[in-house]
Amino acid sequence: MIDQEASNNSPLIHRRYVFGLLLRLGVNFAGGVGILFAILYFALSRPLPGNYEGVFLALRNLSPFLRPILAVSVLVYALLACGSTAALCVYILHKVAGPLYRMELVMDQYRSGASTRTVSFRNDDQIQPLAKAFNLWIGTLRHDRHRWLATMKDAERHCLQDEATCRAEMEAALRKVAKDLARYR
Amino acid sequence: MKNLNLKPPRPRIRYVSPRFQGPAVLAFAAITAIGGAIFWKLVDGEFKRVFLHAAIRGHYTFDSAYDIVRDLLAWHLAGLFAGVFLAGSVLVLLLVAATRHSIGIAIDSLRASAEGDLSTPTRMGFIDNFYRFGDKIDAVRSDTLASILKLRSEATGLAASGIPAEEFRLRWDELKQEIRRIAP
Repeated sequence: MIDQEASNNSPLIHRRYVFGLLLRLGVNFAGGVGILFAILYFALSRPLPGNYEGVFLALRNLSPFLRPILAVSVLVYALLACGSTAALCVYILHKVAGPLYRMELVMDQYRSGASTRTVSFRNDDQIQPLAKAFNLWIGTLRHDRHRWLATMKDAERHCLQDEATCRAEMEAALRKVAKDLARYR
Repeated sequence: MKNLNLKPPRPRIRYVSPRFQGPAVLAFAAITAIGGAIFWKLVDGEFKRVFLHAAIRGHYTFDSAYDIVRDLLAWHLAGLFAGVFLAGSVLVLLLVAATRHSIGIAIDSLRASAEGDLSTPTRMGFIDNFYRFGDKIDAVRSDTLASILKLRSEATGLAASGIPAEEFRLRWDELKQEIRRIAP
């Protein structure tokens, strides 16, 4: 009982997962910005000439090249940061998307009439209560199914007696099962 | 000798849900790209202005062009990081909130199913993947309810049928088989 309560109260998405995602995202973006800085540093750190005229010309001549330098550096930053963020997102969101995918497969299996096993996710997967809720529902259905079959089997035992008693007991069992089934709406 | 019984390890597929992971990846990529574009636009204008100003003023005490724009570049890079990280964080929090909300609804729906409510629809929210998942849960519940209603009607009908014993027994066995098909 305590276990069930504890499992019901377990969070859908753990804080550690969210903080981990934010931290990795931060490191990822910082890496991208670092690369952008490195490119711009190497592009702009060429020494200037020592005299006034040289500095003037060097700075004036830098302007036409500034836009391509910035364009290339921003493009490299965008490609690297987008690529690594995409990979990070796919990897991290797999811990939510994976269980959903698994649940979808189980539900397809259930609908096809094949035997459905208890759903369990990997330890580090999120949305664990979803599997527990599904298992609870299937467990309740199975429990009810066993009870209905037990009621019918119990009525069949009376068939060792005379036919009238057997029929009366079977009809009573059917009414009981029908009443039990009525709780589903 | 090669051991044919050893199977190569199955590759772990990470990209399982294009409807969920795909848009999230695109959203993060868009944030990064937009941040880069804004940075480019701002820095391009500022650098041109600063270099022109430095050329006219004759800042030949600086060793390189980088020394002239060092502070400006640092501020813009810090701004780029802060902007992209904050926007990314907001997106993460929105995704987490949407997931919590939608999966919470699915869990409530499954718990209600365990208590017998198989007909109230699961409205799981606006993210396509969750919406589809809600539809799938509803389809499973709907199938189960249809089977249960059929069983109930069969049981009620059989109890009140008054048919001959042989036929009764036949339909009784069929009903048992049908019940066995619930949650196999």
